[in-house]
Amino acid sequence: MELEQRKQRAGRMSLGLRTFQKQGMLQLFVLAGVIYIFIFHYIPMFGLIIGFKDYKITTGIGGMFTSNWVGLKYFKEFFGDYKFGELMRNTLVLSILKLICSFPIPILLAIFINEVRNRPLKKFIQTVSYLPYFISWVIVSGMLKIMADSSGIINQAIVALGISPKPLELLTSPKYFYPIAILTAIWKDTGWWTIIFLAAITGIDPTLYEAAEIDGAGRVRKMLDITLPSIAPTITVVLIMALGNLLGGGLSGSNFEQCYLLGNAGNIEVSDIIQTYVMRIGLSNARYSYATAVGMFQSVISVILVYTSNLISKKVSGNGLF
Amino acid sequence: MVKARTWRRGKTTEDVMVDIVIVAVLAFVVVSCLYPFYLSVILSFNEGLDAQRGGIYLWVRKFTLSNYASLLKDSAWLMAFGVTVARTAIGTALTVAFTMLVSYGLSHRELMFRKAYFGFFIFAMYFSGGVIPYYILLRSLHLLNTFWVYVIPGCLSLFYILVATSFFEGIPAELGESAKLDGAGEGTIFLRIILPLSKPLMATIAIFTSVAHWNSWYETAFFTSNKALRTVAYQMITVINKTNTANMGNDAAMAAGAVSTTSLSIQLAAMVIAVLPILCVYPFFQQYFVTGLTVGAVKS
Repeated sequence: MELEQRKQRAGRMSLGLRTFQKQGMLQLFVLAGVIYIFIFHYIPMFGLIIGFKDYKITTGIGGMFTSNWVGLKYFKEFFGDYKFGELMRNTLVLSILKLICSFPIPILLAIFINEVRNRPLKKFIQTVSYLPYFISWVIVSGMLKIMADSSGIINQAIVALGISPKPLELLTSPKYFYPIAILTAIWKDTGWWTIIFLAAITGIDPTLYEAAEIDGAGRVRKMLDITLPSIAPTITVVLIMALGNLLGGGLSGSNFEQCYLLGNAGNIEVSDIIQTYVMRIGLSNARYSYATAVGMFQSVISVILVYTSNLISKKVSGNGLF
Repeated sequence: MVKARTWRRGKTTEDVMVDIVIVAVLAFVVVSCLYPFYLSVILSFNEGLDAQRGGIYLWVRKFTLSNYASLLKDSAWLMAFGVTVARTAIGTALTVAFTMLVSYGLSHRELMFRKAYFGFFIFAMYFSGGVIPYYILLRSLHLLNTFWVYVIPGCLSLFYILVATSFFEGIPAELGESAKLDGAGEGTIFLRIILPLSKPLMATIAIFTSVAHWNSWYETAFFTSNKALRTVAYQMITVINKTNTANMGNDAAMAAGAVSTTSLSIQLAAMVIAVLPILCVYPFFQQYFVTGLTVGAVKS
């Protein structure tokens, strides 16, 4: 009897279910990943609703959904906060300056490295140039503190070259925070992004250069009229990626680490950005809903930036990410 | 005409100018990339108090191994190195294993719901929750203040899934099918045929993951408070932040003729040791970086 029922059920079993069963092991592998991603990516995504709620930490994950709605209360509080203007200014100034100053450098370096004809030398220069990318910001800030100290090599050079009569307070004065943040970001990331531009340059058809040579083009002309236009699509794609993460610090998203590690009581008026503020009020002051709202505000700006830059790029050059 | 051509076969003034600029720029790049490391190395072999007087730029002034000796006796640093090694080893192994399994499953074109799975993963790549809901999640899972907060939350990267899936798709399906005819199960095929072919892929994922683990301080700073869980990078932050006061204490000790190391000089020794493994490993993976980076740009 029972056997009969089972046979019937098996008969009704759809073809799909049978395929699914046959793929049992593979489906198991993938489902493990799906569950994992659901927990660690999707739950925090749903959790963003606490920005619109009065969340209490003691209620755990369930509380994120059961707590009371408060609408835009925390967003309004942030816009009315006396820190709002300063945080916005610092975040925007640091992000925009960093993008403008650091974006062209890997393109230039790629063009320069490409001019090196000796292969081992070329490889050596390239390898050395992306070493800093693999070093943590903690060690970078440690090395910087030694070199930018009043008796460090940077200040000694500044005094010796007569730029300033006495050592500058490079690490504690608000005046020097942005230049230092930008220069260290360039130092750390240029070599890495050079790799992608150099790969694009390697893919250029060599006959283009030969034709230009016959037309009498010199090396500079060839760089400007062949190399640059040929890698323009790569430049566009990388630029959109950088704009998408503008508020995080561009290509490598270094704003938070820089502001957290190089920020101090001396330069906090320029080094306090939205991201450091979120960590401080969220985790140190335990204001979870408010901090989530502040963080969400930055994400919304970022999403708008990606879509706008992609749209503009599509209109202007015909290249876009999506 | 003839003259111009021979001139071109040699070098034009423009060529020479370009060469000069390029040599100067590249020399500057190489020196500025290497010098901070070089400086850290020579300072780590110099007596700490002597180094504080400044003026050491090119070579060691008072050679000593005492910075390294003190580091090896410092329990906080040793603990931090232990935690970091454990985190790097366990975290990397977990990430590689998990990524391989999920991507291998996904790489089968006939897999049911394949499109839905991909959509699910890619959506999570573009949109993420904030750090605060993430913190609440870790708290609810009781991961805060445990070693596991270092290795479990990051052990499946969506980006590596895409890279690995496209790698597996490149392996001819006939390999698996012929093994199936010989009676091999899905598990055997994966272990005996697919994994040995995937060594370069695993190496790429392992190198990126291990460097990230080795350098990390974020989880220690925000998700733990137990001193026994400090990583090297976090230990470094705490030492850098209190270097000034510690040096004053050392000056007093120096007056008594007791110590020549400072917390800064010990930190330098730790920095050199922390950089060394990265320095040894990273140059060998250039070809994988390039593929990884290009795939990343294309996919995203």
